[in-house]
Amino acid sequence: MNYIGEHFWAVELGRGLTAFSFVFALLSTFAYYSRGDGWKTVGRLAFRVHAITLFGLIGTLFFIMAKHYFEFDYVWKHTSLDLPPRYLFSAFWEGQEGSFLLWMFWNAILGWILTYTAKNFEGPVVGVFAAVQAFLVSMILGIWIGDYQIGYSPFNLVRELPENLGLPWTQFEDYLTRFPNFMDGSGLNPLLQNYWMTIHPPTLFLGFASTLIPFSYAIAGLLRKDYTSWISSALKWSVFSVGILGVGILMGGAWAYEALSFGGFWAWDPVENTSLVPWLTMAAGTHLLLIQRNKGGVMPSVLFLLIITFLLVLYSTFLTRSGILGESSVHAFVDLGLSGQLLIYLLFFTVGSLGLFLARYRGLPKKEQEDRMDSREFWMFIGALVLLISGLQITLSTSYPVFNKLFGPEGLIHIYDENKVLNDPITHYNAIQVPFAIIITLLIGAGQFLSYRQTSTKLFFQRQITTLAATTILTGLSAWALEMWNPMYITLMWTSYYAVIANLEFWIRWGKGRWNFAGAAVAHTGFGLLIAGALVSNANKDVISQNRTFIHEDFPANENLLLSLGDTVEMGKYWATWSGQNEEGYYINYELKFFEEIDGKLQATFNLSPRIQLNERMGNVAEPSTRHTLTKDIYTHVTYADLRTEEERGTEEWKNEFELELKIGDTHFLYGKYQLELDTLVVDAPNAGSELEYAVLGAGLTITTLEDSVYKVMPVYAVQGNQAQHVDAEIKELGLKFRFDRINYDTNKPVIIASEHTEAEVPFILVKAEVFPWINLLWLGSILIAVGTGIAIAQRVKRERK
Amino acid sequence: MKNSQIAIIIAIAVLIGFTLVNLGNSATYSSFADASLKQEETTTVIGYLNLEEPMSFDPKTVTLTFTAKDKKGNASTVVYNQPKPQDFERSEEITMTGFATDSAFVATDILMKCPSKYNEQNEVDSDKIYK
Repeated sequence: MNYIGEHFWAVELGRGLTAFSFVFALLSTFAYYSRGDGWKTVGRLAFRVHAITLFGLIGTLFFIMAKHYFEFDYVWKHTSLDLPPRYLFSAFWEGQEGSFLLWMFWNAILGWILTYTAKNFEGPVVGVFAAVQAFLVSMILGIWIGDYQIGYSPFNLVRELPENLGLPWTQFEDYLTRFPNFMDGSGLNPLLQNYWMTIHPPTLFLGFASTLIPFSYAIAGLLRKDYTSWISSALKWSVFSVGILGVGILMGGAWAYEALSFGGFWAWDPVENTSLVPWLTMAAGTHLLLIQRNKGGVMPSVLFLLIITFLLVLYSTFLTRSGILGESSVHAFVDLGLSGQLLIYLLFFTVGSLGLFLARYRGLPKKEQEDRMDSREFWMFIGALVLLISGLQITLSTSYPVFNKLFGPEGLIHIYDENKVLNDPITHYNAIQVPFAIIITLLIGAGQFLSYRQTSTKLFFQRQITTLAATTILTGLSAWALEMWNPMYITLMWTSYYAVIANLEFWIRWGKGRWNFAGAAVAHTGFGLLIAGALVSNANKDVISQNRTFIHEDFPANENLLLSLGDTVEMGKYWATWSGQNEEGYYINYELKFFEEIDGKLQATFNLSPRIQLNERMGNVAEPSTRHTLTKDIYTHVTYADLRTEEERGTEEWKNEFELELKIGDTHFLYGKYQLELDTLVVDAPNAGSELEYAVLGAGLTITTLEDSVYKVMPVYAVQGNQAQHVDAEIKELGLKFRFDRINYDTNKPVIIASEHTEAEVPFILVKAEVFPWINLLWLGSILIAVGTGIAIAQRVKRERK
Repeated sequence: MKNSQIAIIIAIAVLIGFTLVNLGNSATYSSFADASLKQEETTTVIGYLNLEEPMSFDPKTVTLTFTAKDKKGNASTVVYNQPKPQDFERSEEITMTGFATDSAFVATDILMKCPSKYNEQNEVDSDKIYK
């Protein structure tokens, strides 16, 4: 059948390029690993053809997405006609297929650079790249062998999806114009429609891709039994990797903080954890590479760390893309049914690289002479070890879903009967990771006062008297100002200040402020600031929107405050008013005015407008609004708003019926604004005992408003046999009505039903507001880490050129 | 023995320690029945929303009350003292962390699984064929 309007050329081009890209990646791998000079040229050529076809395939996917060819499943799922063109990139890597392509794109670029710079290591290094690329391209191949699917192609047509095969609508050659489903796509998830989604994934994936370079050098070194000549090249790239991956992860945190209403920058979510772990091991590996270059003797540890960093990136890929995290993460990818293939990929590289490592282990250069306990290299080694343990601990705790699959009730090896889970991950990780952070920051500071080979104890302390004094004074002042007295937190504050001051001092006093010493000093200062900022902004976070309405002592504290339109309520040291709302495209902006008491008078100081993005297809999303000041941020988001139209709200006069069971003397706080008390119960049963027995009951209610106006009413309930009559009581000024509905004979208590008049109902929203003190230290630290690693790389490149 | 080897041995011991601590600390996914046997204790229950039973959200006290069924089919009233999550009604599965009381399960944290949100399929309704 000839379908009308389909862009079949794009299907053929896209799939053709995918197939070519795959084949050339394989060819390049084999050529690079064949002996003989000619093969190297073939390998290089094949790698470049692979890269070019890959770029072509990426271009094709961009083109069909930009043109909105909705017969393609990927295009339909990730774009829509109303998607602003600036979000095309975000839409491109929203799905698994596109994000694989993004990763491959960086691998291709980095591999291409290495074909120039790796020199005599080009064969084994770019060969590893080609092998990784072959596996990655296979993830988007989209070939069926029998019932087994290899890869999931972004060029699948909707009508070709397995679930649609043979359905009646696929029999229409004009299905594209016949069915309205193909007129518009499903669109980009509104959570992802912001500029962070444009810059965070490319940076993070460049970070992931860059971990492959040191890995490839390690593999090349092992294959050639050469453990010296590649160290400085690997070092340069591993510093790059630490910098870029760090920036990528921190951008994710900044995104969560700025644009998503997660209420913080780090939540120990599995997806965040598995990207942090390779950074920790890469940082450890980089420091060991430094020792290896300066003094030698740590080759086995260097190789191990460079290898497992890449393996942990693969493990992260497996966790986030196989659907295994479904129950424990809010932002893992959707399962495409590729978990088997991902597992093969993971196992191949794990067995291959660790196998090679073990096979070569005996021949690795070992230490000739033991490190002294007072040498810098010994403590750098300890630091690397702590980073590794910290990373492995996070990996262990994040892997519960994997352990459940392996050893759980339906597991491969049945060990325990019920699936295990971490109930309170944030407390769990903080409790374990804070001590690690203490050791690391302590070592970052102390390391600057240690020399390679050996340091005299006297000199070690003499050098840092000023630093120790300054750190202690500053910590004391901060703890006093912030009223933070938790011993663990004070210790971490001291060590992170120590890291900052020691590194700054080292650079200014011993490095004389010269550029070639600046890289490490600046990056380490940044790391210290980052930890200090994370500590203070989290430990001293203040939820200023505490709702003080008493509900029940068992209930968790309510952190959402009700704001009625026009009312001014207290929020911490501020007063806030919801003054109105306005619509702007898909958004409803809620205008909040904040006041502060200055000289005994309330003065308007700033406005915030948290908003809600309306999206019929995907559901509405709240976006926070934050007031940034130098010393603190005030972060707000709307947690509830009535988004119904007038029609949906209905025209009933009385609403919000509320049933109360009270005994005499009981009080209840009603509708968040009235105090209700049952004072008296009047009972009149005139014909008691006779045939005409009936009873009239009246409930004497006292209603006190927040302004202390008091109203007294008495709803009446008359009952004869099973016939009942009610005389409701109304308070017109307040728009309240009470009905004495019945007596609950189980408890012998009267039941009152309160309801509120439509016009008395004032619109309101719920707002959550938090103050994050000193969070700017965290961002300043992040920037310094990026700047510091940048300087370090520039210095290395410069030194090589000389 | 060399210093670095001692350090590595300590590191391995610490790691084994964490594994044991983790196994001891971790809870299991439980059912409403198990949870009510161990009141006061925090547990995690996976279940789904029972839309046939009434669900109410009182914004003024910020209380969401609904009925959920766990995987064993037991139903329980759940009280959640947070704003109603977006698209709550559309959730396929809900992971509730909290504790049981005599009258209801009090959830402190709710995680929903809404595959339809991220993995919407283009389902063409063949009945809507018009010529």
